[in-house]
Amino acid sequence: MIERILRFWPSRKGAAPIVPEKSVAGRTLLLLITIMSFLSAVTLGGVVLVQKSAIAWSADVGREVTIQIRPVEGEVMESNLRTAVSLAESTPGVASARALTIAESQQLLEPWLGTGLDLTAIEIPRLVVVQLADPTDADIEGLGRNLAAVKGASLDTHAAWRQQLNTMAGTIVLSGLLVLILIGAATVLAIVFATRGAMATNREIVDVLHYIGASNKFIAGEFQGRFLSIGLQGGLLGTVAAMLFFALIGTAAGNMLSSEAGAQVGVLFGRFALGLDGIIGILAVVPVIAALTAITSRVTVRRFLAETS
Amino acid sequence: MIEFSNVGLRYGNGPEILRDLTFSVEPGSFHFLTGPSGSGKTSLLRLLLLSLKPSRGRVTMFGEDVSNLTQDRLLQMRRHIGIVFQEFRLLDHLTTFENVALPLRVLGQPESEYRPNVTELLEWVGLGERMNALPSLLSGGEKQRAAIARAVIARPKVLLADEPTGNVDPDLSSRLVHLFAELNRTLGMTIILATHELPLLDQFNYPRMLLSKGELVIHD
Repeated sequence: MIERILRFWPSRKGAAPIVPEKSVAGRTLLLLITIMSFLSAVTLGGVVLVQKSAIAWSADVGREVTIQIRPVEGEVMESNLRTAVSLAESTPGVASARALTIAESQQLLEPWLGTGLDLTAIEIPRLVVVQLADPTDADIEGLGRNLAAVKGASLDTHAAWRQQLNTMAGTIVLSGLLVLILIGAATVLAIVFATRGAMATNREIVDVLHYIGASNKFIAGEFQGRFLSIGLQGGLLGTVAAMLFFALIGTAAGNMLSSEAGAQVGVLFGRFALGLDGIIGILAVVPVIAALTAITSRVTVRRFLAETS
Repeated sequence: MIEFSNVGLRYGNGPEILRDLTFSVEPGSFHFLTGPSGSGKTSLLRLLLLSLKPSRGRVTMFGEDVSNLTQDRLLQMRRHIGIVFQEFRLLDHLTTFENVALPLRVLGQPESEYRPNVTELLEWVGLGERMNALPSLLSGGEKQRAAIARAVIARPKVLLADEPTGNVDPDLSSRLVHLFAELNRTLGMTIILATHELPLLDQFNYPRMLLSKGELVIHD
């Protein structure tokens, strides 16, 4: 399969490579680097998705605060609602404030109490949704202080939720980066073993090159060229596979869920859309893996030659 | 050009393989290096190739004491020395042309520059028709001629040959030594050819270095 794909890879013109292409455990190493690149790209993509969703969700939640007014004996709920709306609207940085109607409040309770109940006889807490024009400049503390004048009123800035969400997203991002580092380390180790194996297999070539006056730098360059080529091929195959994976998951998620459910999942977990920065990040796996392969093999070859010459 | 003065060689803590070698080789000369198997011919050639350093004594090549050379200088000096092996040591995946061109490629010459020289040399050694063949398709004699061409393509000052006739029949052996003689005569290359085939030596009137148990017993 890989060989069939590689037929489309441009081959080097001119003189034949001094290190034979088939002698560098190429197929096994190519498969390994492809897998490592795929894992790196998927991890990176996952991290990007989580981070983007967390930022978007946090920003959405952060643009809104809620005033809750509990029923208090002797207080008129509608009057308190108007006062709260008025206080909110006069607060700097607030774009708009709107009290939820009784019907809207009942809708919010439906998941817990079910439908068809007449709640008019029961005093239920009412909410005022406050949209902020600029979350960073809004005087939330001032609003909180002013609301003390309204009995039964409390301000919910969703700070605890946002904090929890950010902590969770940060943990996932950190875990992803740790996985990336581990994948990188495993790749380096695999390349070291493959390079030493290739050097041992090609010992005759190394000896002949030494005898005809080749420097260690030249010999390392010849081996590095082969490994760079394998790294590029593996990196590209793995990354393309990862892109297809994300495209497939995105399509499958869209098809499997109804539009409403899909929208809810999208709000909670993002839309499996990597975006341009995510795609660029994943594409960066190709040169990174290729460079990692080339540098590791070069260092290993130089060390091997220093030990043996 | 080459001077050995009381040179001894041992591998690790083992016994001395070569003892008290003192001789000199003049530029443009041709020497046979002979002696029974195990007498130290290959070890002496490795000293001459600068792939080993003497355990004692002094080796001077091209006017420099080789014991204190830096890696870079050693590499530069090694490029003045060509080597031909009994087992040819051609790279199997490269064609005859590519094998012969290898030393020039190592020196960084582009193919457009070295192609005419390599082609001319291959024709000179009688491999003009075989330059695109892989070593596996060459006969023993053809392989050895390709190996000789590879050893001389970069015009080294010294050409070493370690039993170059060991894998060919007597008639071809003689023709190969004639080829070395021709290189010595036409290019002025200093040649040291190791062989244990005494009948072959008798066909040529070149000075002999006879090694026996690590000592140089004859150097005429």
